[in-house]
Amino acid sequence: MDISLISLEVGVALIGIIILLTDLWTPAENKARLGWIAIGGLITVFCYNFSTFDQATAGINGYSKDGLAVYFQGFFVMAAILVILLTMSYASRVSSGISELYALICFALVGMCFAAGASNFIMLFVAVELITTSFYVLTSFERHRLRSLEAGIKYLIMGATSSAIMVFGIALIYGTTGTLDFNEVSRSLLTPAGLSMQLLLHLGALMVLGGLIFKLGAIPFQLWVPDVYQGAPIPVTAFLSSGSKAAGIVLIFRTLAEACPSLLDQEWLPKLLSITAGITILYGSLCALRQRNLKRLLGYSSIASAGYILLGIVCLDNIGSQAVLFYLSGYLFGILAAFTIISVVSEESGDEDISILANLHQRSPFMATILTLAIASLAGIPPLAGFLGKFALLRSAFGKLNDQHSSMPWLIGIAMLGIVISLYYYFKIIREIYWGPGLYWKEKKPSAEPLCCPRAAEIALLICLFALIGLGLYPEPILSLAGEATNNLFSSRP
Amino acid sequence: MQDTLFYIFSALTLLCGILVVFNPFSRNPVTSAMFLVLTIISMSGLFVLLKAFFLAAVQILVYAGAVIVLFLFVIMLLDVKEEERRRFQKFGTFMGLISVIGLAAIIINTTNQTFTIANQSEVQSIKETFNQSGAAETKPLGKLLFTEYVLPFEIVSLLLLVAMVGCILLSKRNTSKEEAK
Repeated sequence: MDISLISLEVGVALIGIIILLTDLWTPAENKARLGWIAIGGLITVFCYNFSTFDQATAGINGYSKDGLAVYFQGFFVMAAILVILLTMSYASRVSSGISELYALICFALVGMCFAAGASNFIMLFVAVELITTSFYVLTSFERHRLRSLEAGIKYLIMGATSSAIMVFGIALIYGTTGTLDFNEVSRSLLTPAGLSMQLLLHLGALMVLGGLIFKLGAIPFQLWVPDVYQGAPIPVTAFLSSGSKAAGIVLIFRTLAEACPSLLDQEWLPKLLSITAGITILYGSLCALRQRNLKRLLGYSSIASAGYILLGIVCLDNIGSQAVLFYLSGYLFGILAAFTIISVVSEESGDEDISILANLHQRSPFMATILTLAIASLAGIPPLAGFLGKFALLRSAFGKLNDQHSSMPWLIGIAMLGIVISLYYYFKIIREIYWGPGLYWKEKKPSAEPLCCPRAAEIALLICLFALIGLGLYPEPILSLAGEATNNLFSSRP
Repeated sequence: MQDTLFYIFSALTLLCGILVVFNPFSRNPVTSAMFLVLTIISMSGLFVLLKAFFLAAVQILVYAGAVIVLFLFVIMLLDVKEEERRRFQKFGTFMGLISVIGLAAIIINTTNQTFTIANQSEVQSIKETFNQSGAAETKPLGKLLFTEYVLPFEIVSLLLLVAMVGCILLSKRNTSKEEAK
């Protein structure tokens, strides 16, 4: 076994353990600064792994580090760095256990990195469980708050149920093929004995997909999203909406393209996926319209974005998956910038209602500008990263119009409708910043005192700002990376 | 003989499993936990029929022995009177029944169809490969765990660390700052 292949995961796990140990010798007032160790460590480990990693080395059983894995690992490390920066600015609200918070984020990151490279079903399951278990603890982290506890319990029960469905699926796959390796499962269908078992194998694969769609937060496994997003601490919500979601997507790609390519030839699969995508987009967009709680609103909007991601998956080809990868990168920076600012503003006012944003353009022009840009990017306004992501997804869907996908025109129509609806609730946030009346039930004017942004949050916001504009104006590097990552994914397909 | 035993054990597993969550006679959580023990014991009977003796023993030792005892401790430490008084929620029961019946119908239907398509000789050959592999015995199991599946095995150890940190974090005594609130 070649340890250098998994140096990233081993390194990240070590960072987590080191933080847990350093916590013992760190005085309480300095504990929040342990986050800098985590960030420095993550950057070092990622650079080391990136420079020593050699595509030619043989994979470990159950783990392969191909282009797709490297792209997603970069994505996860970026997300974790931004989330740790956000956690550091959130530290004053955490009464105890801030270093455990950093360590658990690192452990969840280990799970995500393993998920990105999983090449057999045991690895897939173990990685997903590592992510979910870390999030069980993270969501109920602020246990003195009833909402956080409620979120934790809901996530625990829903997560356990979806894991049970996934394990059932894996058992069916093992029962029909006698193997758990992705490549061997796909090869087993070439033999006559395997071919006769195809139906049961497809049922198993669908159940695995069901468990993964839970991570994505799409219909019919979306019920946990608003409550958990609202109840969990803001850094955890941000990590759930970026990292955990992306882990589900990479595993969906691997299950569909590598383990069960025969599923792609079934006529009902695009139909099933497009129905799911369509309902998810409509559900997320329509439910977000009436929300006043910022975290809940972003929760529903993240359900809608899970629908757009499924739109790219429905295409079942390389262009569609490239679009999904690019969309995710734009989405990461948009949603993390939004959550960082919500965290800073809600800390000061102790509320999460949308009206706390009132007068932000006078109180902190810096944060108001970035929040406006982030929301505009999420809504898909042209010069920003989110626009190009949605554009790439729709373009790949249009490319499939002439194929036998009879449901595609409907799905594109619904996606367009969803984008138009989303403009309303996204611009509700922007309207609140510049023209908001303040806390309407207290009947007082919104405060005009300047609001200062903590150093860590400032750094995170600057990274997001550059990425949002940079990805929007100069998308070629990331697009070509995403293209390289996915050009072998659906290679067996015409 | 084996077939009869299989049907007896699987019927027991299903029946006791249903009684854990849906017991019309008693709403006492202790009764539910006891039915869970019965479910696990009959499931270990199924493992014996598959010649997976180690798994059967582990099932009884770990689940019926340790885990259920833990469940019982928790149930007895908590106040269970409230739970006993609560009735079944009609809507929840209805939706639960619909999804269980739907899922069962899909699985039974697919299995049936698969085995009508499948050649009997092919099914037999698959059965034989499973019987011969003997992966459920202790020695091959241990070998597999420490050679082929060593990486997932190590990840599970990290998972246990996360669970331990989480338990301590969520159950430790409140610090002074929280008490001040």
